[in-house]
Amino acid sequence: MTGEHLGDEAELFALGALEDAERSAAARHVALCAACRERVAAAELVMASLAAAVPAAEPPASIGRRLRASARGGRPRNAGPFALAATVALAFVGLGSQTLLLSNREAAEDRALATIVSSHFNHVSAVARGDSGVSAKVLYARDGAWIFVIARTHESGTLHAFARTPTADVDLGALATSGETASLLVRPAKPIGTVVIKRGDTEVATATLNY
Amino acid sequence: MEATTTYLRHDMDALVDAFAAREPAGLEGAYALWSRELYAVARSALRDGALAEDCVHDALLRVWRAPNRFEGNRPMLRAYLLASVRNEAIAMLRSRSRRDERERKARRLAEAPVDADSVADPVEAARVRDALGRLSQDQRTALEAAFYGYKTHVEIAAALGVPLGTIKSRIASAMRKLSVELAPPESGR
Repeated sequence: MTGEHLGDEAELFALGALEDAERSAAARHVALCAACRERVAAAELVMASLAAAVPAAEPPASIGRRLRASARGGRPRNAGPFALAATVALAFVGLGSQTLLLSNREAAEDRALATIVSSHFNHVSAVARGDSGVSAKVLYARDGAWIFVIARTHESGTLHAFARTPTADVDLGALATSGETASLLVRPAKPIGTVVIKRGDTEVATATLNY
Repeated sequence: MEATTTYLRHDMDALVDAFAAREPAGLEGAYALWSRELYAVARSALRDGALAEDCVHDALLRVWRAPNRFEGNRPMLRAYLLASVRNEAIAMLRSRSRRDERERKARRLAEAPVDADSVADPVEAARVRDALGRLSQDQRTALEAAFYGYKTHVEIAAALGVPLGTIKSRIASAMRKLSVELAPPESGR
């Protein structure tokens, strides 16, 4: 098997339609053969289209939390903004120590956290631009009623959050800095699709919100 | 629905680079973008919310920790992740069905859920339905049994009473035909 190309088995391999022994042999070949990898990848693109027809299902928020915890070594606590997001998440499951952390936040953040704790929300990590050194996350109400932008940065300079519209970036306000982290709660008139974080005129991170 | 279309090209490149570099932001960003599709694929295969959650978590973590085939195909991260979740779901299905052979025999051969009230992506699903309609009936039956029925070619051949080689070639030719007909917007990269 490893000596010759997969032929029809490339598509069956992608589909998971081979029997166990065939599958192992195909996997060994694909690992070594660029031509067959390409063929498998082409099949995967078709499968991504076929997957559009499976029933819609709303993923539970716990998957994102578990992934983040796993990716960050099983204990999401070291990075400022992520610690805050994790704090909010953990508060829902009633961990006493995390609730204590909440009570130490400053007044503005207390108001933000009160809003967050009393509603259903999604969250998304912003994609950092270049070497901006900014990590950011946006928590947002599922109905679009509020967004909470949290950023961690090692550089000085006030960060502003903007809502990206087809015609312009609309300034939502400055993030209030407290130590290494900065945050801003916004209650927009209508749901915001894309949040851009800037320092001065420089874009440092972007997040796309899905409702 | 399709979040990638609102992403600028360099945002996607940054995300893909972060994923390939095994940075947590790459994993989190990819999941944030495609969580609904990934979960829908797992949920549809496993028909159980808790199993689907484990499936998505385990599959994404595995490929993020060890991205291998994906390296040369960066624009196809989404398809690769969907395939990885699907493979994980199939592995879970088969290990479960080995424990319960009766359930396996009772399951129907194929069930193309294209008539479901609410599908993961209605626009793309309509394109898929049209493209499937242009396959021969033999090709379509075999492909749907594999994709939507999660069957192996041996199982499909046995159910249809058709030789193994015939089933293999029907499935593969159906996939190649769809590949041309469904050529995605990102093709050519």
